[in-house]
Amino acid sequence: MSTQHFDIAIIGAGQGGLPAAHLAARLGARVALIEMHQVGGT
Amino acid sequence: MHLVRDRAHQFGVRGIDPQALSFDLRAAVGRKDEIVGGIISGIKSGLAKTAAITYINGRAAFLSPREIRVGKQTITADKTIMAVGSRVAKAQIPGLEDAGYLTNNEALKLHQVPASMVIIGAGYVGVEFAQMYARFGTRVTLVSRSARVMRNEEPELREALGHLLVQEGINLLTDTAVTAAGQADGQRYVEVKPATGKVQRLEAEQILLAAGRTARIEDLGLEQAGVALQNGFIQANGQLQTTAPNIWSLGDANGGQMVTHRAIYDGVTSALNAVLDKGRTVDYRVVPRAVFTEPALASVGLTQAEAEARGASVSIGTYAFSGSGRGKAMGATEGLVKIVADDKTGEILGGHILGAHADMLIHELVVAMQQRATARDLGKTIHIHPTLNEIVQSAAKAVK
Ligand SMILES: Cc1cc2nc3c(=O)[nH]c(=O)nc-3n(C[C@H](O)[C@H](O)[C@H](O)COP(=O)(O)OP(=O)(O)OC[C@H]3O[C@@H](n4cnc5c(N)ncnc54)[C@H](O)[C@@H]3O)c2cc1C
Repeated sequence: MSTQHFDIAIIGAGQGGLPAAHLAARLGARVALIEMHQVGGT
Repeated sequence: MHLVRDRAHQFGVRGIDPQALSFDLRAAVGRKDEIVGGIISGIKSGLAKTAAITYINGRAAFLSPREIRVGKQTITADKTIMAVGSRVAKAQIPGLEDAGYLTNNEALKLHQVPASMVIIGAGYVGVEFAQMYARFGTRVTLVSRSARVMRNEEPELREALGHLLVQEGINLLTDTAVTAAGQADGQRYVEVKPATGKVQRLEAEQILLAAGRTARIEDLGLEQAGVALQNGFIQANGQLQTTAPNIWSLGDANGGQMVTHRAIYDGVTSALNAVLDKGRTVDYRVVPRAVFTEPALASVGLTQAEAEARGASVSIGTYAFSGSGRGKAMGATEGLVKIVADDKTGEILGGHILGAHADMLIHELVVAMQQRATARDLGKTIHIHPTLNEIVQSAAKAVK
């Protein structure tokens, strides 16, 4: 399996992870957003 | 159902037969699921439209500060923002695991109203669920370790909220510890011990554990990443950077105020710092909070005791909802506004509201505090009549 590389990894697509991911993307970063359950959190 | 009957009576609505009313929890949960489902699909389509974000479904664990394993896949990242949230803290109550209990997650998925429920913990999750299930028709016992519900809030408001819950038929046990739980003859029970008194056994069709939350850090590989903990939460500095220089952490997992709007604020700060090296420091001076009971409890800034503990000499202004014409017309006469101000400068240091729409009214104090306004500034601001906001204005005027 190949290894993908990102500028920023965000662990958790909950209430804080989602805005962090969107802003990081808008600022030009290549983002991996990792979530084990469901987006939205808690 | 008692609520529908009482309200109808109060407002002169006739012909409602309380015996004929029934409540369908399955339908209510279905409606909730539909609303949440809509929100989630909105989030997903937002992500799908953003080419720069690769969404990966799986549990992440650090292998090193720059390597993360997700299932069978390994990714590398120059920088990481941890946004792992919190979960219900395990309680050291003998027999509880075997007895079986609900957390807030399962308690929002029941399809049948339980006949009885014992709720362990009287923080915001405990009191919100206590009132909700009591209104569904469940016999609720709410067990609080301290003398009142809602630790850290103003004592008058805590007292008044506890009183309102008791009036609704909730069995509120204060200064009481849960000592054991179990099952006997197919029936769950909880044993409680009041500070002064004997152990008592309470039958409970369901037990809801709401006694605190802790960082969700199991199997996250924090050691491999070089991320340290502090009191069980992730240690982050003012820029939200952890002890690993290329890793930031936000929200509930860092401890402090566990609320969505703080996590969102942290999300913005951590992204600016991680991507652009902005070195921005979080400022939590003005983070409001609300408990969505009815009436709601909302607050911002310092309580009187907190301000005094910091050496401030304070002036207090209070005003009761019962003094408001609008409150009377709405049948919302319970509660009060309390404002804590610096005695010397008049600056508002804290605002505390128990009453109808407290969660909205509080924003007047939030903006005032953000601008470092004085109680006098707020008191002389013209407010619309008749509104509940006039209660906030009156409390500001009452600050001596
Ligand atoms: C019952 C209840 C009611 C609440 N009501 C309110 C309210 O009315 N108002 C309010 O402001 N706040 C409320 N909160 C608090 C609010 O939900 C949290 O403060 C907020 O969700 C915190 O955001 P977060 O990003 O830190 O964590 P979360 O939103 O919980 O997100 C964390 C995410 O990370 C994921 N994750 C964790 N570890 C991993 C891993 N190793 N790999 C991959 N994914 C991982 C989780 O699955 C989760 O989706 C409530 C909380 C509860 C429990």
